[in-house]
Amino acid sequence: MSHLIHIEIDDLDGTLLRVLGLIERRGFFIDAIEMYPIDEKTRGLSVTARAKESHRRIETLLAQIDRLYGLKRVAEPRKAAAAQKLSA
Amino acid sequence: MINQPTGAQLVISTLRALGVDILFGYPGGAIMPIYDALAGSGLTHILVRHEQGASFAADAYARATGKVGVCMATSGPGATNLITGIANAYMDSVPMVCITGQVGTHLLGTDGFQEVDILGLTLPIVKHSWLVRDPAEIPAILSRAFQIAQEGRPGPVLVDIPKDVAAAFVKDVPTTGEFPSWQPPQPNDADIKAAEKLIEQSHKPLFYIGGGVEMAFAVPQLRALMDRTGIPVVSTLKGLGAIPTTDDLFLGMLGMHGTRAANIAVQDADLLIVLGARFDDRATGKLSAFAPHAKVIHVDIDAAEINKLRMAQVGILGDLKIVLDGLHPKMQDISLWVAKCKSDKKKHAFRYDAPGTGIYAPALLKLLSEKAGDKFVACCDVGQHQMWVAQHCQFLQNRAHLTSGGSGAMGYGLPAGVGAKLALPDHHVVTVSGDGSFMMNIQEMATLRRYGIPLKIVLLDNSSLGLVRQWQRLFYEENYSEIDLSDNPDFVVVAQAFGLDAFRITSRDEVDGALDRLLAADKPTLLHILIDPRENVWPLVPPGASNAEMMEERWDEPLDSY
Repeated sequence: MSHLIHIEIDDLDGTLLRVLGLIERRGFFIDAIEMYPIDEKTRGLSVTARAKESHRRIETLLAQIDRLYGLKRVAEPRKAAAAQKLSA
Repeated sequence: MINQPTGAQLVISTLRALGVDILFGYPGGAIMPIYDALAGSGLTHILVRHEQGASFAADAYARATGKVGVCMATSGPGATNLITGIANAYMDSVPMVCITGQVGTHLLGTDGFQEVDILGLTLPIVKHSWLVRDPAEIPAILSRAFQIAQEGRPGPVLVDIPKDVAAAFVKDVPTTGEFPSWQPPQPNDADIKAAEKLIEQSHKPLFYIGGGVEMAFAVPQLRALMDRTGIPVVSTLKGLGAIPTTDDLFLGMLGMHGTRAANIAVQDADLLIVLGARFDDRATGKLSAFAPHAKVIHVDIDAAEINKLRMAQVGILGDLKIVLDGLHPKMQDISLWVAKCKSDKKKHAFRYDAPGTGIYAPALLKLLSEKAGDKFVACCDVGQHQMWVAQHCQFLQNRAHLTSGGSGAMGYGLPAGVGAKLALPDHHVVTVSGDGSFMMNIQEMATLRRYGIPLKIVLLDNSSLGLVRQWQRLFYEENYSEIDLSDNPDFVVVAQAFGLDAFRITSRDEVDGALDRLLAADKPTLLHILIDPRENVWPLVPPGASNAEMMEERWDEPLDSY
């Protein structure tokens, strides 16, 4: 089963690798990623992840992402607003 | 530019402003600006002889005090040498800040001399990390690093500072930055009520406590809850000391080398109240067979631990102090259960009547801790001696059993003793090591001599890698592979060459006097103890087995007769 995770990450060294590495290390395949700008210091990241083994719980993974610093998990991507802002 | 501080000077002034009194480190090329600023700053710097020693010493200082431990190293190999210590702090949730020098920003990514991507290498084993690019941000970043290291579930934080950033002058001196103070999640009243209800319904409740109790400074609250409820306790390796090991209700450590009483209680319990513990595989054995009759109340500050490995009927996210204070169940009569637990404890108590005249390490360690009393602090290495300390030593206080739990890092004991003795100068801080582990950071005896740190070292020497040998005997058909250390150096001579007092004992009748001499010593002292290489750690739950399947062998009863 695939899970779509939306994250907003600060523009800091290592943040992207930090979250993607965590998803893989904690037992999930990354099937797709998409990145998009939100503002000057923030980028949006949407990750489609799938458990490598049946006992890997998505709730645990999300809690592990939530305890990282320099990013925030969000319910919906702010892609549309960002695109509108960039084109203006 | 005379009044403008450099980034390096801001590092030092911020550390002082944060209340740092001691740090452990080793200089080198890329961190030279910071060491230049350190000289004459008033900060106490302990020059270790290997960067791994710095990270282990800082870790132990933090465990012993509850404060943040600080270590520093240069770029490249200096930084990579810290890694084992960083991983150790991460696995055991120890608050630590590691400052590393880095090549200049113009050299980043060019394979410059002593360049290594320490930020990238440590991503999986830090709570957070920074590569500092603007020296004006140093006060804010370091302040935030200290906050993150301590808030919630503690852990290590890395701050990597390129040489040019450290050397640059800062025109407008920034403040340390203001961050909203961290607020622990408030436990939900409904969850507290649900937990109370489960406790009230339980006939066989059991506390399963971990290192989180000590980390949360929740020892008084736990002891008060025990007084209110009379519920027995088992502990993980890291939880030892939160409840005095002499307490009637304390059944011992659970898990692979746990006591029979503890493992039997877990398997029989109908309710586990899990406090700051994480169902580590060394504690649970085969997870699907662990505590098969028990419902679970799991209290933790880290949401990611609740339901990670064992589903909890009630999960409470919050500060242990608050949660434990809030629990006031109306207990039903559990006296039969408590009596059974106490009876098992008595029935399966460790025996110390080993035959012969050789030194029986478990008895020696028990006596050592009893003689040292409530000032006893053990800094363990990893191996059989580590498990014997956990099984046989008396711990009357928390923060007195410093051991590499999750990481199991050989080489921890000696540098940990450096950090712990500096933190607790009035305690009997004893490094308990084995001949394998001791050689991994043996150079730190030079640190003891340099600073006159009167650490006491108990070196149990069985001329082999004892725990590996034990497993090869039991699970690899006695195919002994690369465990022989019979060509060890003469440890007494080595210690004396480092400037320590050192002496050796080989027979049981020497133990009492040797321990008295060791505890009375006011200089760094090593007691070298020759023990029988055939001695093993019992009980043992085989890897992958249920905790109900404890193997044991005694001198008068062969293996598997239990």
